[in-house]
Amino acid sequence: MRLAEYEAKEILKTYGIPVPAGAVIRSPGELGPRLGEFGDEIVLKAQIPVGGRGKAGGIIVTGKGEAVSRAAALFGKEIRGFPVREILAEERLAIGKEYYLSIAVDRSSRQPLVLFAEAGGVEIEAVARERPEAVRRIIVSPLLAEIPPFALRDLLGDLAKDLAPVANRLYRIFREKDAILAEINPLVTTPKGICAADAKIIVDESALARQKLGKGRAKTDREQQAEAHGFSYVDLDGDIGVIGNGAGLTMATIDLIALYGGKAANFLDVGGGADRERVKHAVQLVAGLPSVKVIVLNILGGITRCDEVAKGILEAGIAQKVMVRLAGVNEDEGRALLAGKGYTMFETMDEAVLAAAGAIR
Amino acid sequence: MIYADRSTGVIVTGATGNQGKFHIPFMNAYARQVGGKGIVAGVTPGKGGQEVSGVPVYNSIREALREHDAGAAVVFVPAGAAMDSVMECAYAGIGLIVTITEQIPVHDTMKAIEYARLQGSAVIGPNCPGLLSPGECKLGIIPAQLATRGNVGVVSRSGTLTYEVIHELTRAGIGQSTVVGIGGDPVIGQTFTDVLGQFEGDPETKAVVLIGEVGGSLEEEGAASTDLPLVAYVAGVTAPPEKRMGHAGAIIEGGEGDARSKIRRLDGMGIAVAERPGEIPDLIRGYL
Repeated sequence: MRLAEYEAKEILKTYGIPVPAGAVIRSPGELGPRLGEFGDEIVLKAQIPVGGRGKAGGIIVTGKGEAVSRAAALFGKEIRGFPVREILAEERLAIGKEYYLSIAVDRSSRQPLVLFAEAGGVEIEAVARERPEAVRRIIVSPLLAEIPPFALRDLLGDLAKDLAPVANRLYRIFREKDAILAEINPLVTTPKGICAADAKIIVDESALARQKLGKGRAKTDREQQAEAHGFSYVDLDGDIGVIGNGAGLTMATIDLIALYGGKAANFLDVGGGADRERVKHAVQLVAGLPSVKVIVLNILGGITRCDEVAKGILEAGIAQKVMVRLAGVNEDEGRALLAGKGYTMFETMDEAVLAAAGAIR
Repeated sequence: MIYADRSTGVIVTGATGNQGKFHIPFMNAYARQVGGKGIVAGVTPGKGGQEVSGVPVYNSIREALREHDAGAAVVFVPAGAAMDSVMECAYAGIGLIVTITEQIPVHDTMKAIEYARLQGSAVIGPNCPGLLSPGECKLGIIPAQLATRGNVGVVSRSGTLTYEVIHELTRAGIGQSTVVGIGGDPVIGQTFTDVLGQFEGDPETKAVVLIGEVGGSLEEEGAASTDLPLVAYVAGVTAPPEKRMGHAGAIIEGGEGDARSKIRRLDGMGIAVAERPGEIPDLIRGYL
């Protein structure tokens, strides 16, 4: 889960990494009384859970005089699909040099990967593509509590004296906050010293409980509702509802729909061993999507019992057509329960998806 | 077959929990059917002296190893303590640790996998269905009734999609040497590269089906590491960016790890990539 910029900066500050003077406001009126805190020029930054806000008009530099009216205009906007509900107001920094510093979970080495570049403030992926030599990288053993000095010298070169403390503090944040990414971009020099001008922290979704963070940001209402039932769920923009058991099988079902010229309305994984109640809730949830004209239910039961699934479908009592693929444990019992009740049954996922795509056309 | 065979004694950790209690009888029924050793002991701290489906439970791995011979462990311990269990197994010298548990914090996984590596143990998973060598052994939760013995290796980041593929292979009369679910998390122990390396040393395996999904680049790295004939399938061609598609690892991040670019790179290596799971049997038949 991606933290808001101001939340990330609060963490940085707690760990002793300097950040700009700033305040979070939730209405234009909150800005007025605090204008004295930031100097003559103020930066207003929309707090949205996705990147690319600068280009989308989500960052405004303004003088003190117009700050409140500019903030009011920003609150009325939607930036990259997200309504602006919080703005971080900050002092405008006198920036000298800009650097890039990040620590991420590296899937290939299975260890923390620290990246540093003397070109900051730009997209690091673009720098890595165009000038790979400009991005320095070190792997740190996850068993170490800090980045060893030799590695910091490798990473930072002559800048190690100034930046090593920042790198080690960021590494502590990465470990202690269960981050999968902790990034400062740009890390800048100012007349007053080093400062984290922007910050991004993504917390591991599997560690939200021990970090005492709630779920459900950057998620639609239906996604939150599905999570409450324990389903893995993502909203998509088509008209064929999808229910599968297992993430991979459900993803493959959605891909197959596209291959046969259709478009899935959602991703819903009911999970392993789903009983009739879970299946009923899943079917009702997907049938409740206004766009859904037909539903594909793809169950390959390893531990999931097909007769339980069939009962769940029957109890859901929905209007739309359901193309049912049931295979595995008790498949004959499951099919017998649905026989003659208006459901179309298929032996393979290919057939079920093809029928659903055909029903739409 | 790779990693284990019918002579491998297996310890289940988290034996007295719901998952352990549910799956121990399935694994042992399979062991009896194929004449294997199966689950020789269970471990749950504080539950020593109990039994689960006739399997004796001990307080620790070391206690269990005093009474039984075991070369592998299957971990069903809940997320908060699962990686402690992995390290306990590694410390006690168990060479293969199959970790079924999902939703383990990734920092715990990184530490435990590195610790196990230094102890000389291989970890499969976490968040995986485990390993099945038809006719030899079952370490985990892959439904054995779908599989049949043969010459095709299967390695996959997914669970049920793997079952789908072995179901289709079996229906098409194509048997499997070993099926390995390596797990759906961003950080996993044995990667495609490691498993393909094992398949290379296995005389039974003539070709391998590699089942990947969005996120990371382990598929391409694995495919580039082997000379074995491969058929690949990558799920998530239609997955939107920055959304987690069920598995913690199935997410397109920073414009990287999308299915189409994976498929393009696999294609560029001359690997046959199936457009849909149903095509896999016909494609793999060409290599047998």
